[in-house]
Amino acid sequence: MVRAVRRLAALVAVAVASLVAVVVMATAASAHVVPTSTIQLAVTDAHIVATVDIPLSDLEAATGLDLADETQADIDAHAQAIEAYLLGHFTPTSDDGQAWTVTEGSLTVGSAGNAATTGIYDELETTFTLTPPAGTDATEEESSFDLGYDAIVDKVATHTVIVTVASDATDADFDGAYEVGTVQRDTVTNKVEGLHIDLGSGGRESAVMDMVKLGMSHIKEGTDHQLFLLTLLLPAPLLARNRQWSTAVSARRAIHRITAITMSFTLGHSITLALGALGVPVPQQLVEAAIAVSILVAAAHAIRPLFPGREAAVAAAFGLVHGLAFSETLRALDLSGTHLVLALLGFNLGIEAMQLIVVALVLPPLIVLARRRGYSRFRVAAAIATAVAALGWLGARLGLANPVADLADQLGRIAAPAVLALWATVPALVLLRKRASVRLGQPMPNHRRLRRMRSGAVACIEFTKAPRPCRGAKSGRSALPQNNS
Amino acid sequence: MTENASLARRAVSRRWFLAGLSATALVATGCASESSGSSSSSSSSGSASASGSLSATGAAAAGSVAALAQAFYATLDDDQKATTLLEYSLSNAARWSNLPQGLITGGGTGGTGGGGTPPSGASGGTPPSGSAGGTPPSGAPGGGGSDSSGGAATGTSSGTGGSSQARVGINLGELSDKQLKAFYKLLKAATGTATGLGYAEVTAHLAADDYLEAHGGGDTYGRDNFYVALLGSPQDSGTWEFQFGGHHLAVANTYIDGKLVGATPSFRGIEPNGDFTQDGVKYNALRVKEAAFTALLAGLSSDQLATAKLSDVYTDLVLGPGKDWAFPTDHEGIQVSSLSARQKKLVLATIATYVNDIADADAATILKRYKSGLDDTYLAYSGTTALTEKNDYIRIDGPSVWIEFSMQAGIVLSGNHPHSVWRDRTTDYGGTQS
Repeated sequence: MVRAVRRLAALVAVAVASLVAVVVMATAASAHVVPTSTIQLAVTDAHIVATVDIPLSDLEAATGLDLADETQADIDAHAQAIEAYLLGHFTPTSDDGQAWTVTEGSLTVGSAGNAATTGIYDELETTFTLTPPAGTDATEEESSFDLGYDAIVDKVATHTVIVTVASDATDADFDGAYEVGTVQRDTVTNKVEGLHIDLGSGGRESAVMDMVKLGMSHIKEGTDHQLFLLTLLLPAPLLARNRQWSTAVSARRAIHRITAITMSFTLGHSITLALGALGVPVPQQLVEAAIAVSILVAAAHAIRPLFPGREAAVAAAFGLVHGLAFSETLRALDLSGTHLVLALLGFNLGIEAMQLIVVALVLPPLIVLARRRGYSRFRVAAAIATAVAALGWLGARLGLANPVADLADQLGRIAAPAVLALWATVPALVLLRKRASVRLGQPMPNHRRLRRMRSGAVACIEFTKAPRPCRGAKSGRSALPQNNS
Repeated sequence: MTENASLARRAVSRRWFLAGLSATALVATGCASESSGSSSSSSSSGSASASGSLSATGAAAAGSVAALAQAFYATLDDDQKATTLLEYSLSNAARWSNLPQGLITGGGTGGTGGGGTPPSGASGGTPPSGSAGGTPPSGAPGGGGSDSSGGAATGTSSGTGGSSQARVGINLGELSDKQLKAFYKLLKAATGTATGLGYAEVTAHLAADDYLEAHGGGDTYGRDNFYVALLGSPQDSGTWEFQFGGHHLAVANTYIDGKLVGATPSFRGIEPNGDFTQDGVKYNALRVKEAAFTALLAGLSSDQLATAKLSDVYTDLVLGPGKDWAFPTDHEGIQVSSLSARQKKLVLATIATYVNDIADADAATILKRYKSGLDDTYLAYSGTTALTEKNDYIRIDGPSVWIEFSMQAGIVLSGNHPHSVWRDRTTDYGGTQS
């Protein structure tokens, strides 16, 4: 398992590293017509210089000052009042509550805005020097502190202050300005949300966590992705013999196969996720249809081995297709630069985590059930159901609306009960067996069973806790072509 | 069946499958690297792509909005159909904005096709996030939105900025006269016949944008840049939304099993504000709404006005685009229960100027609901009572109704112009919260 995690980490690292090399800037998204304030932080090992830009009309609204024609002379005439107001609304503190020293530079008037959206407007620009408390390690204090800025937003309910780190001399890895957050009202509470600054990775970590969650929910809600992987894993605990699925392989071997398949799927979709998120155009409908095809192939393989031993390669190939679908989610966010890289990392981690959870939830009972006689019937039934769903999706995605697809879309809803039922079958089966053996007496293990037992016995005893040889573990009969009916 | 026969057959089918497999992979990768040369306007596909089974042929009562949507859909060619009929999801439904499509930078970055992509040069307000020390123009809006490090991805209800994404659907400029005729018929059924409201108001609204196009706005403006989308299958079963919008306009009618369950978020702004003449016809798009607000405030005593006045300044709407499901917990201003019967009537009449932007029967149902909650509704304003000055603001906030109106500086024209939004605390997006 540790090895698996290490391999997973390595895969993700490769995907991300390949990205860093080629990331390009994209335009940022926006849709506001009202001017905003900005604060740009320049961090050094002694203090932080904050360059603050404030639209003059908002400054007037917040302070009640009449700045007449909004010229430099008008500002100078009210300089004292403006400085006092701003200093009263800029009180950074260390995490232990200690106040920082704040000094203010001169006030200058400039022009800003965009003729098409906000219109061109006058703004005030000034700088503040923010110094951590004496006797503390400035660099450490700067890495995590409360900005304590609520000028304008304290009065103008709809105002937004965008805070960026423009430069950071304390961070050797600094690779360009990045946004650390905004100061604005929470519309629900109508209170100003204070901004806590985490320099470097801090702010990014939470962004990555958001993306991890997004990735997880993507798999959780993406019934088709889950279904593909699960269906491919369905025959993983079985031995392909004479072009039939026959007896179960050892638990260790099953886990090994499952790991290989899952990893390969990951490798495949990581590659295309990265490419897609970078802006390689994706024919959405085709990808969606190809995903339906992939599920169909997996279902066929679960009935009869089509590519025994090569499941991992197939998983990787189809992983490429699924990755293209994942990338749509990221593209919609329109991220760029480091944000895109971190988002990719987080999103992929989320996808993997959810995938592992699904596998961990479903596989143990499958491995146990694979040793039961009924597994073959269960496997075929599940595969056929999956194939029907896949056909429905395929039709729908090629423009042929059908009720099967509608129904298949609802599959996610029964996921939790299905998993529960799966887990419940294991003890239920064991109970049934016990009763049966009490009634019929202990069956004599024959030659064949004894030979096979060596590989399967461990897992069997673990799950049944039966002191006797476990009959269910081996069922030579599953090698019979009973799925031909 | 003998073992040999089945073996042979299986070997064949296996080869077939493997061949199909690699073919599929090839197709997928091939298409992925092929730059989209298609001229379809489905550029804003982002997360909009249709999956599952969408159709515009299900059962729909004759003359219903769903039936007219089907009739409109039937006039489209295959490419247009794929662009217009999209999956019903909150992420598609939430794609509306006050801005014209061309000024929504980023957003639907599917960005591959031609059609609706923002013209270059429109992105002047974006922060050069790569260059150290670069000045993010203060115009760079709504911050928290899509350009912050993924924060927007979680879609937290307290939205961090007024960001929004490019609209989905097809723009009117792509439609032929015959298709437009079917569309306007659909629009009329969805927006109702109230005098000076609903369809009549939207007609004036589209003329206003044509006016902007001709008076300095250029081709970013004009009705050709308004988008219509059918989210989900328009029919009398299941959930679907009729979505129509463009600069200063968002129509969002959500139907479940043939019944209108939500007509919000409904955005109405206007520039030019007041009288204007376009193609020889005189219009005043938001006259009825503005007159109702003014009459409402004029009907209050000075004591009542003092109670209703907000201490904060409002330069914009609180719950504009992107601020979904983020309603304030507390109601501010004066409670309607303290008003006289005549004043209450004015409040209801004002609310009706938004509710009557939908089909008459549906409007009556919603208005009844708002009337029953009228005493628990609050009225608040900021700025002057004329509602003509920059930062003038008024809000009607009830148990479910939420209406805001905000006066802002002109963008294309000189002179102020309003933004307003009608939302509903329970039935925004038909109640879809995720």
